[in-house]
Order: sequence, then structure tokens, then C-alpha cells
Amino acid sequence: MLLTIDNLHTTFSTHRGTVHAVNGLSLSVAPGETLGIVGESGSGKSVTCYSALGLLPPTATTTGHAWFDGVDLLNCRAVDRRRLLGNRIAMIFQDPMTSLNPYLRVGDQLIEPLRLHRDISRPAAEARAAEALRETGIHDAERRLRQYPHEFSGGMQQRVMIAMALITEPALLIADEPTTALDVTVQAQILALIRNLQATRDMGVVFITHDLGIVAGMCDRVVVMYAGHIVETGPTPALFETPRHPYTGGLHKSLPAIQQRGAPLYTIPGNPPDMTEQTSGCPFLPRCARAAAECGAAPMHLEPVGQDQWTACIRRQCP
Amino acid sequence: MLRFIRSRLLEAIPVLFIIATLTFVMIRLAPGGPFSDERNVSPATLAKLEAHYHLDQPLPVQYLTWWRKTLTGDLGPSMRYGAHSVNEIIGHTLPVSLELGILAITFALVIGLGAGIVAGLKPNTVTDYAPMSLAMIGICIPTFVIGPLLLLLFALRWQIFSVSGWDTATDRILPAVTLGAPYGAYIARLTRAGMLEVLNQDFIRTARAKGVSEFRVIYKHALKGGLLPVIAFLGPATAGLLSGSFVVEEIFDIPGLGQHFVNAAFNRDYTMIMGTVLLYAVMIVVFNLLVDIVQAALNPRLRLE
Amino acid sequence: MKQRFLSIRQYLLPALIPLLLCSCGREPVFLKSPAGQPGDGVPQILHLGNGAEPKALDPHVVTGVTEHNIISALLEGLVTENPKTLEPQPGAAESWTVSDDGTVYTFLLRSNGKWSNGDAVTAPDFVFSFERMLSPGLSAEYAEMLFVMKNAAAFHEGRVTDFSQVGVRAVNDHTLEITLNAGTPYFLSMLNHYSWYPVHPPTILKHGKMDERHTPWTRPGNYVGNGVFVLDTWEVNKEIVVKKNPLHWDAKIVRLEAIHFRAIEKALTEERAFRAGDLHVTSTVPLDKIEKYQQNSPELLMVSPYIGTYYYLFNVEQPPLDDGRVRKALSMSIDRAAICTHVLKAGQLPAYHFVPPDTGGYTSQARVTYDIAAAKKLLAAAGYPDGKGFPGFELLYNTNESHRKIAEVIQQMWQKNLNINVVLKNQEWKVYLDSTQQGDFQVARAGWIGDYVDPNTFLDLWITGGGNNRTRWSNGDYDNFIASAASTSDAAVRFEAFQKAETILLDELPIMPIYLYVSLSLIQPGVRGWYPTLLDHHPYKYVYLE
Repeated sequence: MLLTIDNLHTTFSTHRGTVHAVNGLSLSVAPGETLGIVGESGSGKSVTCYSALGLLPPTATTTGHAWFDGVDLLNCRAVDRRRLLGNRIAMIFQDPMTSLNPYLRVGDQLIEPLRLHRDISRPAAEARAAEALRETGIHDAERRLRQYPHEFSGGMQQRVMIAMALITEPALLIADEPTTALDVTVQAQILALIRNLQATRDMGVVFITHDLGIVAGMCDRVVVMYAGHIVETGPTPALFETPRHPYTGGLHKSLPAIQQRGAPLYTIPGNPPDMTEQTSGCPFLPRCARAAAECGAAPMHLEPVGQDQWTACIRRQCP
Repeated sequence: MLRFIRSRLLEAIPVLFIIATLTFVMIRLAPGGPFSDERNVSPATLAKLEAHYHLDQPLPVQYLTWWRKTLTGDLGPSMRYGAHSVNEIIGHTLPVSLELGILAITFALVIGLGAGIVAGLKPNTVTDYAPMSLAMIGICIPTFVIGPLLLLLFALRWQIFSVSGWDTATDRILPAVTLGAPYGAYIARLTRAGMLEVLNQDFIRTARAKGVSEFRVIYKHALKGGLLPVIAFLGPATAGLLSGSFVVEEIFDIPGLGQHFVNAAFNRDYTMIMGTVLLYAVMIVVFNLLVDIVQAALNPRLRLE
Repeated sequence: MKQRFLSIRQYLLPALIPLLLCSCGREPVFLKSPAGQPGDGVPQILHLGNGAEPKALDPHVVTGVTEHNIISALLEGLVTENPKTLEPQPGAAESWTVSDDGTVYTFLLRSNGKWSNGDAVTAPDFVFSFERMLSPGLSAEYAEMLFVMKNAAAFHEGRVTDFSQVGVRAVNDHTLEITLNAGTPYFLSMLNHYSWYPVHPPTILKHGKMDERHTPWTRPGNYVGNGVFVLDTWEVNKEIVVKKNPLHWDAKIVRLEAIHFRAIEKALTEERAFRAGDLHVTSTVPLDKIEKYQQNSPELLMVSPYIGTYYYLFNVEQPPLDDGRVRKALSMSIDRAAICTHVLKAGQLPAYHFVPPDTGGYTSQARVTYDIAAAKKLLAAAGYPDGKGFPGFELLYNTNESHRKIAEVIQQMWQKNLNINVVLKNQEWKVYLDSTQQGDFQVARAGWIGDYVDPNTFLDLWITGGGNNRTRWSNGDYDNFIASAASTSDAAVRFEAFQKAETILLDELPIMPIYLYVSLSLIQPGVRGWYPTLLDHHPYKYVYLE
């Protein structure tokens, strides 16, 4: 396994109380695999990955393990963790405009991971950076290296981010909603780019998104999260054809289909949960049509259903 | 960049022109003149005195004469200290005031940046409260309290420094600290706020995700953006330093330009007033321009203009 | 919850600092004593706090005390002053004779009198100097000091153009003859004023014309004087250093090697410098420090009567002050002694006359009184019984703590004793001067320092149309008395005329005297030869350090 997250708990202390963002989550990513993490805003999908990499602010408390390359990222020295970040594990973020440093030239930002993690001279690093830009489809790379991020369009900025992430040829790329801030045509280009780059490198990818369509096109396996828990996980086709959790089913139904033109859109009844409250049992209970009494009592626990598919629903069904 | 500098300098010319003209008019409107004193001067003597300084000529003539002489670099004789010209007095005192100002702002930057960065790194802890409380003192207690207080302790009680004057190197310390203290305090607070804001930005998270050490995150990624509010503050700060130096010069008996600037107004020393006002206006324009250049150097998004 | 807590903690520390610092309260008196043991070889360099930067060092164009202090070191007049009594003593002139009617003075100059460049001091030098002082082109503000000389006023005003008509001539190189308009008993003490000092003609002419102002002749290196010291360095707003003049005829009794005149604007800064031992003498003592010195170290504080009076001016053209009864009522209802004791506190004395008592032997018999009942009666007679219907007026003073305190106290006294309302108004110095000159005031604070020790310097202020008479008061009898005093040299007759004049003055009260000035100095114990004098003059050739 490339990355193994084991029993991750993450809480934030805020003035409103303690927010339980991730509650006992475990997952793993195989080498070369594309794993999708799906959920609403606030489900904890991004927090999970930030926790694993130690990128959360001091108000967060994380327990658990995140094994990578034999190192437990959550219980190791900072210097050991930093040796892996930007080197063997890379991350790209949602809004490339704010995620790139506006005060530094693109070239300087690109060569930084190389100069940090490799014994390489500056001119060699710059050559490599130009090449990385070209690989992501940016022409005139030498001139572009000397420019600042605000001189690029949104799509180009994301390409720069991708180039920066992949310049050290990491084994694992974590992509946190990389296309959400882009418009549709650019989205498609970026997704295609990621797919191509992954194919040529044998790299694992964790793709965080709320968009089931992207999941369908990009991911081998999917993890569905709700209220800081994994509610279902399995191979992508299986999750689309035979979802085994009412929430997954609800997500499917919420996708607008052309055939439904004219009819009111389906929304899952109820509201997302208040994350300051720790519930016992299934957090989806208040909104679930199939809820039973025992749903509120039993602790969340993934059980296998079918081929490599796991669900936390004790009813093991969906509407 | 050159175009930017040139356009700013061109903008400065009408500003200076207006300042000089307004000053010229206002000082003559103010009641009293350079020669009024408790002992009355006879009208004949007064007339002669005024003629000596060309004050008997019609205002537009005086105005043009002043411009003509100024543009050749001659600011005229001081109306109060007749044996000395304005050029001479400025020539002797400006370097002193400049030295004091530069030392003060250096002190302010060193202390302010240091304290602000330290505080910004660990907000809401002791390393935040301590420097920020001291900063509060620097802002709230005025110069004419801090100065004598420092003198009381360091010059009179513990006799470490001399009580007045500008002779030895150590004489510079207390005045620079007194003048720089409120600016250091503001800079500390601005730096802290700037750092906190920058450190919360997404691109800092990206840097950390690249495995960059905390030290490098601060010094390479955060500092440029974090310092922007401080740089912006430095422009108006120079104006404050120039005028604040008067109080410090009085307290420490420093032969600087600040005293002349203020006393010239009280003495209605027209030539001195015009000379010092014009000088200060030029300095403020130049400093603000420098600040703008530095800002553009730090923040590439400003260069779009 | 957490946010509010943090903001309180941020303010806690700064709040504690003042408490901590207050505990460092006790004032050190002064630390370094320049006084060593006698015979110790204390460096004879005197450091004086001289207040503001002097306007110039040319005796013919300056007007102030600051300038006098330095110029009196660099130049010497025909006479000098006794350091204790200020009596005229031989200076550049070693002897003199006076004609019987007191109008012609013949001075015999010293044969060994020298300028600092070696030239002999000659009678033509004095003639040149007086001509320069009186020349219309120079427009000297103190030219009128020389008007006692025959035709001096006429020459200054351009009515006479040939200077040989003026009452001064060089009989020969060492004999100077001065002819006055009338016998002037105080003439010799007038000669101590810098307007009568000589300047070195070749130096003046080398750097410009005789009547040209502000030429470079006063710069160090150019300045040639006949005084006890020579100009060494002049750093504007910092310090002027003068060094002993070895060529001076009295050089052997001079013990000081140099004097440093420090220009310090702020009284508090000057006092700190004194406390730290950087200054030997300072004449600006901050008001709030006086009591501390009186209690803790009175031996450092020198308080002596100063020839000056603090008073209020009435603009007699403005109602209700145009009524003499009102003015008298105002004067009689203030407790001058209380002001001196409780507000001023530095040993000032209440002024019941305008001319300070014992000025050159003259003490006015007329006096103002403190009589509330009589004041009330007068006010009622003027039409304002018990203050009813009194229109009130504005009391103007120039912005200053001390003037404000006195004005407030007097305002209260008038309110309490006469039941009238007075509004206080303060203006910046130059604005105040302008207002009083233009007559744009009702009652204004003023002060007058005598130029020489004789009642004339006080009483001739109030003659009709006098240049310094801002009250617009005019009284023909008064004018006559002053004129008659000026026309005789008989001391008894003069003083009789002055008595009569002052009686009129203190009856009509265009001015209301309040208190007599004192000069306040802080002086280190090692300073010797520095005596309190009425004009606050301290001839430097008698000063030395122990």
C-alpha cells in the first residue's frame, strides 16, 4: 500500500465548541491507483488529507496513523515528514490563484521542491522546470518561468500547480478539488492532463471532489464520506450500479439527468449535521428514509458487502 | 519602472508649487511680523527693516523674487538670525536631523519587525502578548513623556548617557529610541497583523505541502507579503518623523532642523519658513516615492500600473 | 470568551509600567560637582545656559538679554560695571570729566586699550560706532538709546545729514567728547548698554558698508572686539565659545579661559543639563522646579530683585475702561501679596508702584492700595453697584503657564470682590504683540524691564504718543513732568518731578502694576564672582571657578 490511514480522528477547537471533523477514518491507496473521496462540503474529505500530511493549523488536534514509505506521518519528526512532502507525496489545491505565491516568480516556485529535495544546481533545476511546464501544456516555457502567477489565466495557473507538484516525480499525488474553481472546458483539459501524466508515471492519485461525474471518469475506487465518517467505499462501477448506503443513493438521485427536464430536482431531505455534536451511531440517521432504531445505537463500522465493497449502513441497503 | 518614477516626479511639481504658494500667502496673513517685539520699533525703523528684506515690495514681486532666488539655490538670509543665511542654517542642521531620523527609523524597524514577526508566529501566547503590550506603551505614551523618563533613568539616575547634546556616539541612543519608539510600536503591530494575514493564506499551505521548513516559509514566502503594510506605513511615517523630531530635539538639546522649522513660524521668520517648508515637502515627496518603488518591487501586482 | 481575555491581558502590562516608574521617584539634586578643592586646578571654563540662540552678535542691531550676555564678553564700552553695585567704572576710558551743567562729558581713553587684532582703541573708533548706530540705513532698533546726545535723534531721522553736527567728537586719538541735550545724571550707567559699544571700523568696512546689516563681520575669524574675550566658534543653535583675550588691558585679573554659551530652547532641558553638571549657571528655571530647589537645595538657587515690573495695560479708549473709577476699582481689589506668595512662590514682591523701589535711589511715595470696600464704592460710583450691569471685558495675555495662572487668580479676585465677569484670552506671542500694538485689546498683560538704573526708563513709557505706550493714555501734566526731569541734572529736582509724574500715573492708572520681577538662576557652588545685581549683569572678568 502506498498510503495507509488508520483510525484518524481530527478535531478543531473553535469558539463555538469542538468540531469533530474526522471520526475514526481508515483508508488506503494502492500504488498506481486513483482513489476518489466524495462528499458534501463539511464532510471532512479535505480535512482527512490535510490531517494526514500535517498541514492543519494549530487549532486542530489529530490522532491516528498515516503510513507512507514506512513512516507514520502523524507520529514522526517534523523533518522526516518534510522530507516526504513535496518529494514523494505532492498536493495540488482547489484555487490556484490563491495557492500560488503572488510575490514570487513562477520559476522560483517551480524549482523550489527540486532544490529542496534533490542535489541539483539552479540552472539544471530551471531547465527541468521549463520542461515540466511544457509537459503540462504551457508553451514558451522559458519566458513563463520569469512571470508572476497573476499573469496566468486560471487554467494555466492550475497547470503550473500540477507541474510544481509533479516536478519531483512523487509516488502519490493528492488533488483537492483541482477543477472546482475552473470553467467546464478548462476542467476537462486539466482532468485529461492529470490522467495522462498519471499514466506515464505509475503514480497513485487521491482525488477529492464533490462531483460524482468526475469520479466516474477518473477514479478506480471511491470513498464516500459523510459527517467525518466513511459511509461506503468500493470500486467505482459497483458504487454507481449498486450503492449500499442510503447517502450514496441519495447522491445519485441528486444528479440532474436530462430525462428529468421539467421535474423538480431531488434533494436529500434534511440538513447537514452540526459537526460540534458527536453523535452515537449513524450520523445520517435524521435524514434517512430507511432508518431504524438500532441505527442510532451501533457505532459506525464498515462491513463488507460484495466484491471489495464496504458499507457502514447496518441496513445494507439503499432506497 | 522608469516611466513610473518619471510620472510621479512630474506629479510632484505642482504639489510643491501649491505648497510653496499657500505657505507664502498664509505666513503673510498671520498677524504679527518678523520684527515685532515687546519693545516697539519706530515706524521709520520698521520701514527700513522691511525694505532691507524686500517686504515693502508688492506681494507678487516678493513672490517671484523668492522663486527666482530659490531656483538658483539661494533661500535668502534668515530674518531672525540675520548673520546667517537660510542655506547655512539648513546646511548645518539638516544632517543632524537626518541622522536622528534615520537612526530612529532603523531602531523602529529592527525592534518592530522583530517583535511583530515573533508575535505573529505564535499568536495568543506569551510571545505575542509581551511584545504587543510593550508596543501599546510605545504608542500611548507620547514622546515628551518617554524622553524625559529615559533621561531620568539613564542619564540622571544611572549616569549611563549624557543628559543633552549631540557630541559623542552614545548621545545618539536615547534620542533615537525616543523618536523611534512609537514608530517601532506601530511597525510591530502592523508586522504582526501582516504576518498573521499572510500566514493564513493558501499559498503558505502550498509551501508547507512542498516540504519547506518553517524558517524558509517565513523568510521566503511570508515576509514579502507580510511586510507590505509596514512599507506602506513608512511613507506617512517619514512625515511624522520629520515633525516629531522637533520635540525630541528640544528635550535632548539636539541642534537639528526641527527646532528651526517650528520656531521660524513663531518668529515669523518668513525666509526660514519658506525654506524649511519647501525642504520638508521635497523630502516627503521623495520618501513617499521611494516607498512606492519598494512596494512595487515587493508586490508584482502593483506594477500593472 | 477567549478573545476578550486576550485583549485584557494585552493592556495589563502597560498599565503596570507607570506604577513601576513612579517608584523611581526621588529626584537626584545634581550629580557632578565641578567644584573641587581650592588650588585643585579646576579648568577655568565656564558653561552658561543662555536660553535661545542669539539673533546676532552685532551690538548695533540686537535687542535682547540673550545677545547682551555674549556681546558683553566680546566688546567693552567707555565704562564697565562694578560686579556688585553696577556702578560705572573705567572701561575703555580710564577717566572722564563732566562740565558744570552736566551736558559735556570728556573721556580719556586708555593708552593701552587694544582691539583683539592689536590695533589701538581710539576715539575716532567711537565716533564711527555712534555714527553707525544712528545711521538711518542701519535702522537700529535701539537707536533711541543714543538720543540723549545732541542732534542724535535728528541725524537718525534724517533731518541732519552731517554727522559732525551730532554731539560726539574725537578731540584727538585718545580723547572723546560727548555733548548731551541736557544734564543726564544716569548717562554713565547708560553707557553700559551695548548700543553704546564700539565696533572696529576697519573690520566693518572690510565686510560691507558702514550701515549695512548682517554682513559677515560677526563670524568667528572675522570678529574683532575690544572685550575681555574673543569669539572662537559659533555653532548655530548649539554653542558659542569665547576665549580669553590676552590683549585686553585688564587681562591679568581675568581668570576664566573660556566661556561656552549654550543655546538650549527648553527650560526643562536646560535645568536637566544643570542637574547633570553640564552647566555652571542657568537663568531659565522652570516654574515647577522652583519649590523643589527651595526645599532641597536652596544654595543652588539665586533669587535677586530684577529691575522690572509685571503689570496689566488698560486700553483707555475702550469702555468700561475709559472710566478712571473702574480702573481704580480693578486695581484696588486684587491682593498682590497673595499672588506673590501663593502663585509665584519664588520670592517676587508685590508692586505698589510702577517704578521698582530704590531704583537709583528713587522710591515712589504714591502707591496703589488693596481696599475692597473702597473699590466697591468706586465701582458703584461709576454706575455698576455691586457689579450689576458691568459689561465685562477681555483680559489678554500671551500663551504661557505663568501668565495664565496669574490671570486666573486675578479673574477670580475680581469676581469675588467686585462681582464682575472677566473673560480670559490668550494669543501666541507675535499675535499678542500685534493685538496690543493695534489697540485690539481691552486689558492686556505686559512687562517692562529697565534698560538702565534710573526711573526715567520706566516713566517715559507713558508720555503721549510714546512708542511703547499702548494704553492710548495721554496726560499733558505727566508729559511736562517727564520733560522737566529730562532737562535738569539736579537729582533732587528730577526725583521731585518723577514723584509728581508717578502720582498722576498711579491715580489715573492707565496701567495696573502687579508684581516686581526677580531674576532666578541656578548656579553651581564652585562659581565665584557671580553676584546678584539689579540688571542681572555679571561682568565676566571677575568670575572664576573653584
